[in-house]
Amino acid sequence: MRELDFPTDENVLVGTATADDAGVYKISDDLALIQTVDFFTPVVDDPYTFGQIAVANSLSDVYAMGGVPKTAMNIVGYPMATMGRGPLREMLAGGAAKLREASTVLLGGHSVEDAELKYGVSVTGFVHPERILCNQGLHGDDCLVLTKALGTGIVNTAIKGGLASAETIAEVSELMAALNRIAAQIIQQYEISACTDVTGFGLIGHLAEMIAGTGTGVKLVVEDIPFLREAYDFAAMGLVPVGAHNNRRFRENMVLAPQGFDPVLRDILYDPQTSGGLLFGCRQEDAEQIVMQLHNEGISHAAVIGTVVKTGKDEIQLIG
Amino acid sequence: MAKTIDACGLTCPAPVLLVKDAVEKGSGDLSVLVDNQASCENVERFLASRGYTVAVEEKDGVYTLNAEGKGVDEGVPGSEKSAKNISLDPNESQKVVVLIMADKMGHGDDELGAKLMVNYIKTLKELGPDLWQLIFVNSGVKLTIASSPVLDELKGYSDNGTIVLACGTCLEHFKLMEQKAVGSATNMLDIVMATQAADKVITLG
Repeated sequence: MRELDFPTDENVLVGTATADDAGVYKISDDLALIQTVDFFTPVVDDPYTFGQIAVANSLSDVYAMGGVPKTAMNIVGYPMATMGRGPLREMLAGGAAKLREASTVLLGGHSVEDAELKYGVSVTGFVHPERILCNQGLHGDDCLVLTKALGTGIVNTAIKGGLASAETIAEVSELMAALNRIAAQIIQQYEISACTDVTGFGLIGHLAEMIAGTGTGVKLVVEDIPFLREAYDFAAMGLVPVGAHNNRRFRENMVLAPQGFDPVLRDILYDPQTSGGLLFGCRQEDAEQIVMQLHNEGISHAAVIGTVVKTGKDEIQLIG
Repeated sequence: MAKTIDACGLTCPAPVLLVKDAVEKGSGDLSVLVDNQASCENVERFLASRGYTVAVEEKDGVYTLNAEGKGVDEGVPGSEKSAKNISLDPNESQKVVVLIMADKMGHGDDELGAKLMVNYIKTLKELGPDLWQLIFVNSGVKLTIASSPVLDELKGYSDNGTIVLACGTCLEHFKLMEQKAVGSATNMLDIVMATQAADKVITLG
């Protein structure tokens, strides 16, 4: 939509010009507003769990900008005629539970009758204008850290096909419903060069946005990248969402893979994530400490997945 | 003559599921039509994972995958109860699936409905070996937990070879997954395939 002329002013710190996670608007020298909105169709059958996931996903954009979420508004498209009030109540209760966990208040919302259920929240947060974490700005020699396992898109495709076991559904639901709040708090204590959250474009797509046009290369150590074991099994039988194929076609010209690289693993790296983890760059000397702190807080998948190299070329190199 | 599966107009994961169904029904060579590259790659990978040799042709946006070979059924990963355990032996007697949708029989009085359901499940033994699968969905899953009034009967059916399944989503919904005391948790694909493969489906609740 670059041809459109959107209104802006000098207080817009992060706007539509860059593909960042949320917009940021300066209110004063020590306060800026973060705004974001996201909503989608159900990824799991249970309405309470879906409510949790939808809200965790929306809040994540504020965390990825280095901010603290403060207020939220529900956005609901709902087939009242066919589903009745029950599931709606459960879904909103799941969402409310996540907002409470994030110490974020609900100010209101809007719902429309819709043949297909959709839910999400718009979130407003605060950040100090000098503490904004943008998705670009990686330094050479930085370590890259990812805080959640990949593969939720593939597993959600298997759920859609009725092939995932109850245990797998429970595991992936817990992962998607987990807030990025603690991870965001931990990285506040360190010098973080750039940060985003991994969502629809997959790990490589979001990484590509972090380096596009900056002359920065990234080396990913593939065996260190966390992913769900079930996602590998399902991808190996062809349950790969269309989004992963689209992400690959869009970004594969930026990627250097060794010959004979496992195509199943490759698809996991492009798999669109629902409520994925934070992906950020930190100083090498801090990386181990950060990951240890994340593990201590129960963020068990967190791992250093690669390093940044100033090559002069926007390039993602897969090692492994 | 290869069996043709037309999956044009369908998006993931539907084409893979259609092909999976055909493979598991023991189809030999297959010819699969899809109309997008993503589905083409997914179906190709699925067929390869089941031991087929696949050749792809594209014409005017329609991909034809010609698959040759004897499929290898590896079951469904991440799901212990895969479609594998649906037997298609033609020598078996009649296969009856009983789909129990609630923990009570009929509407009107719940106390009465609960008693009737207990009585029904106890009387099901009259079906003998024809009772192939007993599937519990929605509040029916409450009959599979430790405090169920028909737990002994269900264990008896299970011991005698009846497949006892409880809907996993429903168990999760009622937060009863831990309390399930008989049978296996199942998913909608198993249920769909069981009702399709059955000679007779009795639904009640």
